[in-house]
Amino acid sequence: MSTGARTWKWLALATGSLILASSVTAKDLPQVRLNADNLGPRPIEDLTRQVVSRDYANAWESLAYALAGNRTDLLEGYFTGWARTNLSNRIADQRRTGIRTRYVDHGHTLEAIFYSPAGDAMQLRDQARLEIQTFDGDKLIDSEQVTLHYIVLMTPGADRWLVRDLEVLQAKE
Amino acid sequence: MHKRIATLVIFLALALSGSARAAELHPPAEVKAGSSFKIVTGGSGQATLYLIGPYSVSKRLVNAGSEVAVEGGEVEHAGRYRAILCAGNCTSADFLVRPAEAARLSMLVHPSRVPVADVNAISAVTFVFDRFHNLVTAPTPVEFKVIPKLGPELSQTRTSDHGVAWVRMTSDRKEGPVKIGAVLGKTSEIRVVQQVAADACHLHIKSTPAGHNVLLETDPVRDCAGNSVPDGTVVSFTKVDDRGKTTVDVPIKKGIAKVEVPVAGTAHITVASGVVTGNELSLAGGH
Repeated sequence: MSTGARTWKWLALATGSLILASSVTAKDLPQVRLNADNLGPRPIEDLTRQVVSRDYANAWESLAYALAGNRTDLLEGYFTGWARTNLSNRIADQRRTGIRTRYVDHGHTLEAIFYSPAGDAMQLRDQARLEIQTFDGDKLIDSEQVTLHYIVLMTPGADRWLVRDLEVLQAKE
Repeated sequence: MHKRIATLVIFLALALSGSARAAELHPPAEVKAGSSFKIVTGGSGQATLYLIGPYSVSKRLVNAGSEVAVEGGEVEHAGRYRAILCAGNCTSADFLVRPAEAARLSMLVHPSRVPVADVNAISAVTFVFDRFHNLVTAPTPVEFKVIPKLGPELSQTRTSDHGVAWVRMTSDRKEGPVKIGAVLGKTSEIRVVQQVAADACHLHIKSTPAGHNVLLETDPVRDCAGNSVPDGTVVSFTKVDDRGKTTVDVPIKKGIAKVEVPVAGTAHITVASGVVTGNELSLAGGH
């Protein structure tokens, strides 16, 4: 095989891998439906609406992996401020006690309720449908299906929106 | 056969009663963040109690059937907690930790520099937290203050909605710093916004001969409220004469912009700064 042909083959393989990787990521992302009909005082731009939905889904995906694998590094992409600090503390606690948590994400109904005039903060309500499994070592000690109501604060970063605060307001079994 | 069935029934009954004992776990429905409380457990013997909070996880050995004390430090984060008691089988119960009293503010003020007399150009957004940094979603009054360098202080109270209170403000007509504050009980946050002159207003130039050239010079450049436009702001001089069209960009220095230009024949000179244009000069033969 000539050098040129080998190069093309490697390029094709690399491109194929990239396409596969992106489709897997897209398939794995939790479903997020964003309603911004009652948002104010700043109106939301179409692109921002798409990016907030995408980044919130990415945040939950990385949170699920971080809690399942007890890896704080996975929080770096989509969490900041207190949310990141507090989730890192939880993962440190999980490591210390031998606990792991598995989130099976059944989707989020997100409602944007406040977008600051300067566009530097957005508050949202999330109704998250989750299956949460708790393991001590390899032993499953608890499993539950639950709908949790979160209040979320997101702020824009350099190229994405980041979760700055994530707080459960109430739970419905 | 009957004996075997009876044995099985007794075994199942014992097993069920054993798990029923372990299933007794009674945390309060709600507690306030940072408050100590007790979880009542049923059953007997040693068991493991897990407390899974939004941002904390603990695990301890307890005597089933006793009250387990939970320290306030274990429930500082608001949200849903799951208590799991394992003694062979595991059982679980939830409780909610509500934020404590509002005690802290986080404030965003935008922008840091603003032109004078700009309507609703300044925004201040506050987030209300308790002492553990939980967002306090209960309506809470926040007092916003505007403290100018000179003149009286202004204030306005807004009640937070889902932990957010905000205001919009119009900048003063005079340049200079203004303090924007938010007050919640004994805590307050202050930010400083620099108010700067707006665009130039009534831009005016004059010309004086300078050898073979002409010196073009502005009057002191001010905005419509009389504030000096900052040094460094660019003023553009455009000359159209027999040699064609030339534009020279000059930064303001010590309040005025000036430049020396050669003139061939009859010249028409205009001046502009940003979107503002000034007077026009027509010069003949370099004068």
